[in-house]
Amino acid sequence: MKLEVYQIIVPLASLGFVFNLVRRFLKSKASWQEAALGAAFWLSVGIFALFPDAISKAIADFFGIKSNINAIIFFCLGLIFFFQYKLFFMLKKNQMAITELARKITLQQAEKEDLQS
Amino acid sequence: MMRPEQIWIVIPAYNEGPVIGQVVSKVAGSGFPNVLVIDDGSKDDTARQARLAGARVLSHPINRGAGAAAQTGLAYARRQGWNCVVQIDADGQHHPEDIHRLVEVQAQTEADIVLGSRFLDPSPGIPPTRILYNRISNVLTNTFCQRNYSDTQTGFRLLSARAIRNLRLRLDGFGYCSEMIVQAEEKGLRIAEAPIQVTYTDYSLNKGQDLVMGVTTAVDLLWKLLFYPSKMK
Ligand SMILES: Nc1nc2c(ncn2[C@@H]2O[C@H](COP(=O)(O)OP(=O)(O)OP(=O)(O)O)[C@@H](O)[C@H]2O)c(=O)[nH]1
Ligand SMILES: [Mg+2]
Repeated sequence: MKLEVYQIIVPLASLGFVFNLVRRFLKSKASWQEAALGAAFWLSVGIFALFPDAISKAIADFFGIKSNINAIIFFCLGLIFFFQYKLFFMLKKNQMAITELARKITLQQAEKEDLQS
Repeated sequence: MMRPEQIWIVIPAYNEGPVIGQVVSKVAGSGFPNVLVIDDGSKDDTARQARLAGARVLSHPINRGAGAAAQTGLAYARRQGWNCVVQIDADGQHHPEDIHRLVEVQAQTEADIVLGSRFLDPSPGIPPTRILYNRISNVLTNTFCQRNYSDTQTGFRLLSARAIRNLRLRLDGFGYCSEMIVQAEEKGLRIAEAPIQVTYTDYSLNKGQDLVMGVTTAVDLLWKLLFYPSKMK
C-alpha cells in the first residue's frame, strides 16, 4: 500500500492531540468525559487518514449509502457536531469567568463601602 | 424561631426601577428591616430607587443573570456571617407578609431551605401559559431530584445558615432555581415548602419570562447536569 504524505502527518498529529488530552486529564485540567470524547475523536481521525477508502466504504456499506462521498459528508457532519460541543463548552467556561469577575468587583466595592460606614 | 431583625431579605433585581422602591418599603413594612438588593447591571435607576427606599445595594457592573445575582447575594451573606436569608423577586409579584410563613415553616421543620410554593394554595390569576411553563420545569427538575417539589422555579425561598455556607450556584440564568434544589439534595440539605401567594400585575406580565428563555433555561440545566466536569459543578 502506497502512503500519501497526509496519511503520515494526520495520524501523527492525531496521536499528539491524544497524548495532550491524556496529559491534561492526568493533571486534572480536563474531565474524563472531555478526555475520552476528544481521544475517541482524534483516534478516529487518525485511523480514517490511514485507511480512507476502506473506512468510507465500510461506513457507506453499514448505512446503506451508495457512494463513499456520502460517507465523507456524513463524517464531516459528525465533525461539526463535535466542534459544536467544544464551542458550547468553551462559551460556558467564558461566561462563568466573566460572572466570577463581575462578582469579585461587586464584592470588593461592597467591602469598601462597608469599611467607610 | 428567627427574629425578623436576624433575617436578611435579598432581592435580585434587573431593570425594576419603577417598582423596586415600593417592594423594599413593603418588606420593611412587614417587619423586616434588613433588605439587600442585588442590582444586576440594570440600565435604569434600580440601584438608586432601592437605596432611597432604605436598602443596602450591591451592583454588578454588567448584567449576568438571575442566578449570578443570587450567588452574589449568597457570597456576600457568607462574608457577613448572616444566619438566615430570604430571597424574593423584585417585580412586586411576591407578598412580603408571606416571609413570616416561611420563617414559621423553617422553625417547625428545621429545614435548611424553605421553598415558597405558588402551587400549594394557588392564587387566582396565574396565567395558563405560566402554569404550563412551570409544570414542564417541575417535571424536568423533579426527574433529577430524590423528592418531588410543587414549585421548583419559585423566586421566593428561605435559606438557613447551613444552606448559605454550602450552596455554590454556577448557572447564571434562571436555571439556578433547579440547580439549587438538585445541589441541596446532593449536599444533604433538608428542603421544605410553604404556600405563598403571587400577584400578576400588568407590569410583571409584560416583562416575565418567555418561551425562548424557558427553552434556554432548560438546555442550560440539562447541559450542566449531564456534561459539566465535576470541578465545574
Ligand atoms: N439579577 C437578575 N435578575 C433578573 C434578571 N432578569 C429578571 N430578573 C429578576 O428575576 C425576578 C423574576 O423574574 P421574572 O421575569 O418575573 O420571572 P418569573 O417571576 O419567574 O416569571 P413570571 O411568572 O413571568 O413573572 C425579578 O425579580 C426580576 O427582576 C437578570 O438578568 N438578572
Ligand atoms: Mg415575575
